[in-house]
Amino acid sequence: MASKFGLAGGIPERRVRPIWDAVDSRQYKAALKLCTALLAKHPTSPYALALKALILERMGKPDEALSVSLDAKERLYSDNIFHFDDLTLSTLQIVFQRLERCMFGTFHLLLLNTNAFAGTDGCKYGYGLMVLGMIDNVVLWVHFSSGGKKLLPLAEALLKKHISSHSLHEPEALALYISILEQQSKYDAALEVLSGDMGSLLGREEDKLRLQGRLLAQASSYVAASEIYQKVLESCPDDWESFLHYIGCLLEHDVILPKPCTGEHACPSNSVDSGMSKKSSLSEELVESRLTSALSFVQSLQESNSSDCVRGPHIANIEIEKQRCLNGISNDRKLTEALLKYFRRFGHLSCSASDVETYLHMLSGDEINELLAEISGSFDASSVSVNTLGLTITLFKVQELLGMLFTKSTAELQGIAKRLVDTFYRNLPLSNDLDPQENMFGEELLSMASNILVQLYWRTRNLGYLLEAILVLEYGLAIRKYVWQYKINLVHLFSYLGALPLAHKWYLTLDVKNILLESVSHHILPQLLNSPFLQHTADLVKDYLKFMDDHLKESADLTCLAYRHRTYSKVIEFVQFKDRLQRSMQYLTAKSDSVILHLKQKAESLEEVESILENASHGTRLVELSNEDSMKHVTSNEDLETRPWWTPTSTVNFLSEPFDEGSTPSIYRNKMCKHKSKENDDPKLKAAEQKSLVPRLVYLSTHDCAYFLREGEQNNGSCNVTAAGEMKTLLQKYARSIGYSIDDALSIVLGMSSGKKAVKDYGPDIVSWMSFAVFINAWNLCSSEPVISGTDCSSPGSWDIVDELVKICIEGQLTDGNRMLTSPGNNIPLLVQMVTGPISWHLLVIQSCMRGMAPQGKKKKKGGPSERPNTPQLQAIQSSVNRMVDTLRSVQTWLSDQMKPEEQALDMLLLCLQGTSTEGPGLISQTLDESAATVGSEIGGRIAQSLDSWSSAAVIRRIVGAEKETIAEFKKICDSKLKLLMSVSASLSSMLH
Amino acid sequence: MTTIRRFCCDDLLRFASVNLDHLTETFNMSFYMTYLARWPDYFHSAVNPAGRVMGYIMGKVEGQGESWHGHVTAVSVASEFRRQKLAKKLMNLLEEISDKMDKAYFVDLFVRASNMPAIRMYEKLGYVVYRRVLRYYSGEEDGLDMRKALSQDVEKKSIIPLKRPITPDELEYD
Repeated sequence: MASKFGLAGGIPERRVRPIWDAVDSRQYKAALKLCTALLAKHPTSPYALALKALILERMGKPDEALSVSLDAKERLYSDNIFHFDDLTLSTLQIVFQRLERCMFGTFHLLLLNTNAFAGTDGCKYGYGLMVLGMIDNVVLWVHFSSGGKKLLPLAEALLKKHISSHSLHEPEALALYISILEQQSKYDAALEVLSGDMGSLLGREEDKLRLQGRLLAQASSYVAASEIYQKVLESCPDDWESFLHYIGCLLEHDVILPKPCTGEHACPSNSVDSGMSKKSSLSEELVESRLTSALSFVQSLQESNSSDCVRGPHIANIEIEKQRCLNGISNDRKLTEALLKYFRRFGHLSCSASDVETYLHMLSGDEINELLAEISGSFDASSVSVNTLGLTITLFKVQELLGMLFTKSTAELQGIAKRLVDTFYRNLPLSNDLDPQENMFGEELLSMASNILVQLYWRTRNLGYLLEAILVLEYGLAIRKYVWQYKINLVHLFSYLGALPLAHKWYLTLDVKNILLESVSHHILPQLLNSPFLQHTADLVKDYLKFMDDHLKESADLTCLAYRHRTYSKVIEFVQFKDRLQRSMQYLTAKSDSVILHLKQKAESLEEVESILENASHGTRLVELSNEDSMKHVTSNEDLETRPWWTPTSTVNFLSEPFDEGSTPSIYRNKMCKHKSKENDDPKLKAAEQKSLVPRLVYLSTHDCAYFLREGEQNNGSCNVTAAGEMKTLLQKYARSIGYSIDDALSIVLGMSSGKKAVKDYGPDIVSWMSFAVFINAWNLCSSEPVISGTDCSSPGSWDIVDELVKICIEGQLTDGNRMLTSPGNNIPLLVQMVTGPISWHLLVIQSCMRGMAPQGKKKKKGGPSERPNTPQLQAIQSSVNRMVDTLRSVQTWLSDQMKPEEQALDMLLLCLQGTSTEGPGLISQTLDESAATVGSEIGGRIAQSLDSWSSAAVIRRIVGAEKETIAEFKKICDSKLKLLMSVSASLSSMLH
Repeated sequence: MTTIRRFCCDDLLRFASVNLDHLTETFNMSFYMTYLARWPDYFHSAVNPAGRVMGYIMGKVEGQGESWHGHVTAVSVASEFRRQKLAKKLMNLLEEISDKMDKAYFVDLFVRASNMPAIRMYEKLGYVVYRRVLRYYSGEEDGLDMRKALSQDVEKKSIIPLKRPITPDELEYD
């Protein structure tokens, strides 16, 4: 924090240093003492005041800190502009950021005051900053102030003046100066700066050339730009981005490269730059001559870089052929040949197929078959070598990537899966001498085999295939326990199978922490949220929220750090990143989930629920979170690349849909891409909005209904108008989130509860409908007019609606004859949601009414509730209690039926693996067991040791155990609700009789 | 086929396939962002044509006098992109920046003494074990401090191995 003038904010640095030291070592009391002494000497120093504010804020005295920092700010304004200095400003900035008074949270305090920049004041301020050498301030001021582009000329003028007297001394300052010029389309001026003395600030010649190339291309000096990019490629032949720019310049395209940093979910086939996928506007002859020269340049690069590590020039060859096809100069044959040439040379690499995926999609079916035949003819598949193994994997991967496996028959698929497993086993000796921590050769084979088995399950619905998909991955992990790709697939497979504890166990071994909580927890969080494992879920949500909250708090300090180190580009980036995280859909939803989970965990105790709600500002802040503005700009930060093919996003699972035999590979691909690109689409937003309403609705339902029932009688039936009004507004939003107006939603609820409308027609949202009915009943209780025709606040009608709907919905799940163990994708998650969601909220309404109507001596106020019970209400409640008891008992019975003795359950599953020797599941599990038994004699070493205890049956036994654990946990929840209902029932009997 | 560029914050949301590897540590945010703020030239990611993060390197430059050196804090490559010398490219870049831009004397790194594949790789890249740091990793496993001299260190003094192991509290920089 030392000033370059030896003065810190106009105060000798030796007097300030001890204060900063004390702050840095968290000795705030000592720091305050020193600062008070400093203020005695410099009572009007804005810097000393700013320091004091900073210390007060660190001591947890935000109000005092704010007041002192505002004082400091005032003094800054009243002083001569030349007292503005970096230290005072940045110190104040820290305080304001930490106090979250700063509009953007991370940049200069005074930059916020946009009025100050609008006219002469702005110029004066900018000039002041410049005189003090604060290039950073000038640039940040332009970037963040609302003046936007209008301020660019001013910033440029200020910087020019500064450069003429002081020049620039840091690459970051130069980069931002060039950016100011670039934003004004002053490319020639920027190029001039770059080629002058200041250009040497960019330490690496390649960086300078890339920047020059970019500026020239923007200035439409395509020939010069392509020459510059040639130079880049000569020194960095693998630089793919520069190659695309090079080709783009030759063809005079505007090159828009894929943006890995935008966070948008791109599909490989869609990620190619749009400019590069169009026909050039140049004449055919010119295109041909330029592409020919590009080809000879690329060939020269290939010759001078013979190492197998430099693939760029070889893929460049393919890109050039692609451009020829696009421009109608050559046929696809050349493209196939280029691809073939590439595979011959690099086909053994793991990424060789995915790296050229976009080009593969341009080939016809015949061309692909030709390509595959050529590759498979180029090596002896029976030999055991790393190269052969790599090529074998590439052959399968090409088929997988292109969705070709969808066209294969069941028998063919089974054969391929078996071949993949066999190939893995045959090649195990290659990995025997590897360090156990190293990736084994051929790991991908098991993932691919598992994927095929899942596809077979989807097609045939034969559970055995799904079990084998699991067994293959478990087998792989028995050999090497670190393969995260297997673990993620298992997390999803076990979740789908209803063995969530096993999914959770594998997830925990992935050690997902810090930023990975934002990008990776989607693999387990959605399943956990629909599970009876409320505590595990609450722990995960808590860890995630802690990470996000902590980061958002510290982000201002980190931005200041970048600012202090004059890393200007990162200052801007950090602000944008904080903004991105703050608007994360997952973060937004987790805030609601966290409260809802607590409510679910404590739903049997009204007092505890009230305390949870009190700590959550009675749900009001969550409602605010879902206002339209904030929902418009949510970000999705999940890394979906790592998800299995059959569940491309957390809301989509192909296995829950029927298998469509008629679909072509490309239809499936498009479907997957569509899902990924629509991750932030309406349904997810609506679900987030709906969740944000629940805590407040629970609060109003339990607090205000009870209030009415207690106070209503003494007020001669006048209802709680405010609460009813708010409930109406929230329920309108709630209904909208299911896709209906409140009136339509009401009539649907009535229709469903009376059996006139089929519940299954509203299937995906059924839990939301149930909660809606519960809240409607609560609203009815505190509303002055009946919210549903035929019911009023003293009528039991709305209770009936809830009871009937709950009964119908639960029964709908229980009458489904499928057993949990043998019917994956089972109804347990739905039942859990029904019981822990709407039924919990309804029981809270009941508890609240009971408390409201109970003649409790202690709570009785003067002229308080009547001793005479509100008999119609009590009777309605009693009837509701009885019907909830019946419903929950039916759930209990169904769950008990699911709990087969372990051996019996095990036999049931093992039976699924006993197909005939030639078809049906069983072949793979048999192969795995046999290979594990022979591995000792054939391979030996550590791999043999790791498979010593392998047994398919042991894995199946663990699945049985995990399903049992899930049922037991769910039963516990039902038990506790039944216990509560029994005690309420007893109280009601005594009140009524 | 690879674009190596400065690491950006958004890469933190896209590096799961690199960091899910059991030997790759996912640090807290202030760790990454401090590196980005202070040593942006020492933090690079390699991306493939589809924009996927293939691997990355993070490091810093520190020290005084003849111990002014580049340091590799982490280098990691996603399994799909291994065995094509990507780590070497990233290491060479960091060495070049340390050597040419910052005129450092050497580059160093720490590696678990049991991580033989990594040690072998660093040896191939010209690093030598300079000293052993006892119980460097969580007070349990020893670390090896490996170094490679740069052009400033004409006599290669910085890489003459120390005869005795040291303890973590004897380290000049952490």
